[in-house]
Amino acid sequence: MATAAMGRPGSKGDLPILLAPVTALLVLVFFVPLSFVLFYSVYDNGLTAKAFVSLAKSTLFLRVLGTSFDIALSATAVSLLLGYPIALHLARQPPRRRALLMILVLLPFWTSILVKSFAFYIILGNQGIINQALRWVFGEAAAVKLLFNRVGVIVGMSHYLIPFVVFPALASLLAQNPDLRRAAQIMGAGPVRIFLRITLPLSMPGVIAGGLMSMVISLGVFVTPTLLGGKADMMMANLIDFYTRDTLDWNTAAAIAVILLALSGILIAMLSWVRRDDGVA
Amino acid sequence: MTNVDERLSLTTAARAWRRTGSTIAAFVYFFLLMPSLIVVPMSFGDKREIMFPPGTFSLTLFREYFFASTWMATTLQSLEVAGASAILSLVVGFLAAYALVRYDFPGKRLLNLVLLSPVLVPVIIVALGTYLYFSSIGITGTTPALIVAHSVHTTPFVVVTLMAGLRHVDPNLEKAAEIMGAGRIMVLRRVTLPLLMPAIFAGAMFAFLISFDEVVIAWFISNTSTQTLPVKMYSSIQWEVSPVIAAVSTLLTLLSLVVCLVSAAMQKPA
Repeated sequence: MATAAMGRPGSKGDLPILLAPVTALLVLVFFVPLSFVLFYSVYDNGLTAKAFVSLAKSTLFLRVLGTSFDIALSATAVSLLLGYPIALHLARQPPRRRALLMILVLLPFWTSILVKSFAFYIILGNQGIINQALRWVFGEAAAVKLLFNRVGVIVGMSHYLIPFVVFPALASLLAQNPDLRRAAQIMGAGPVRIFLRITLPLSMPGVIAGGLMSMVISLGVFVTPTLLGGKADMMMANLIDFYTRDTLDWNTAAAIAVILLALSGILIAMLSWVRRDDGVA
Repeated sequence: MTNVDERLSLTTAARAWRRTGSTIAAFVYFFLLMPSLIVVPMSFGDKREIMFPPGTFSLTLFREYFFASTWMATTLQSLEVAGASAILSLVVGFLAAYALVRYDFPGKRLLNLVLLSPVLVPVIIVALGTYLYFSSIGITGTTPALIVAHSVHTTPFVVVTLMAGLRHVDPNLEKAAEIMGAGRIMVLRRVTLPLLMPAIFAGAMFAFLISFDEVVIAWFISNTSTQTLPVKMYSSIQWEVSPVIAAVSTLLTLLSLVVCLVSAAMQKPA
């Protein structure tokens, strides 16, 4: 390639060369696959809404849809309740200490979901750490079922989601002007009052963003319900897998994917509205 | 320092409030760390039981993983897919990041958003679409199919990392080299890329680990001969729970720790 043909830096002649590879990759391996999903959801020897109509009448699908929302909402609530204290704690630390403690949040973020699932299998199982401890303290009858049911799914998902809550909540907390808290303190407000009237309300954009992100992630979750949940904890992604591989009903699988895509789209639109002041979502 | 006089002015109530907060936080930190702490001792147990704490200390599981099983084959497959995805997404991602940081053009904001969309769309939908599309052109189950499918997923992370890196590389250095007569390729090789090395390294690590741990797309488009490590782990945990997974998990945790330290180091300059 002749150097001169590429032009000077900043000249627009380079743009096609710079942007062609990423465009090709996105179109061929992202947008075309997405359009295949859309296509299969409405095409079966001619255009048809058959797949959607039968889904609307399918008790299996409606149950799975309900389960998905149920699990997503519970896991999001638990993640917010556990993630917010972490964000608050991190926000109070001096920068160096915060960077160190941040590693404790980043490590689970970068840990394979399969490693975590295996670990929870050991922690929550019938012969797991918690049940061993319960038996040791309270006797043989004290064991509780924590795995292959809703509890297992919520624990596993909350663990996965907490970092996604901590990052935006921490950003919101760090962006607050500390003088506001100081002013309230000078005027005689106690710590709980300062928290409820200043810190918490001002951090709401971050909390809402974290909550919406958790909803998007948990509605589409695939691994955790299969490995830590029971039969009643099947979620939309598992149903898509079921129709794709077990019954080879690609139209129904694609229709469920389109519904999931629409739900995620609504949540992401809300997310970018909440974060409209930060520039990019 | 604000910190000092803030501490001096703390009332008893404020101190109690803080202590409560710190206690809750300590509990959650422990919860976050627990899985990583559990798998390491587990991996030194033996083959017969999956119990914590393991009754014995042995390297049986590691030996099994490295020498006596199909685990190594799937690991090599994952290494190949993750390595190739990292390289592909670095090349594609660098060019895109360079355009987005150094140039102004119509549709830049839109492109920024579109570039991130593979991360925002639930991965199950991408996995299904890729499966349907690749089946129709007859390439499901091939290694190149896995590589490109993973690259779409890793490229956004590379682009974001490299864009942050490029903003710290002064464009005047590139201009100066140019004025002194260096060609575009020369400027890239001798100025831009060396200065960008930390971000390139971090981006490569992120892309590698994301692909190495990715399970949903691989579950849909790999077959028995191109099975990756996470897919094997997924089926194993689902059906028999081989204790070897403890050894695999310890090694994966080490890899995560390295990448985690890299990403923690990346956050500081910002």
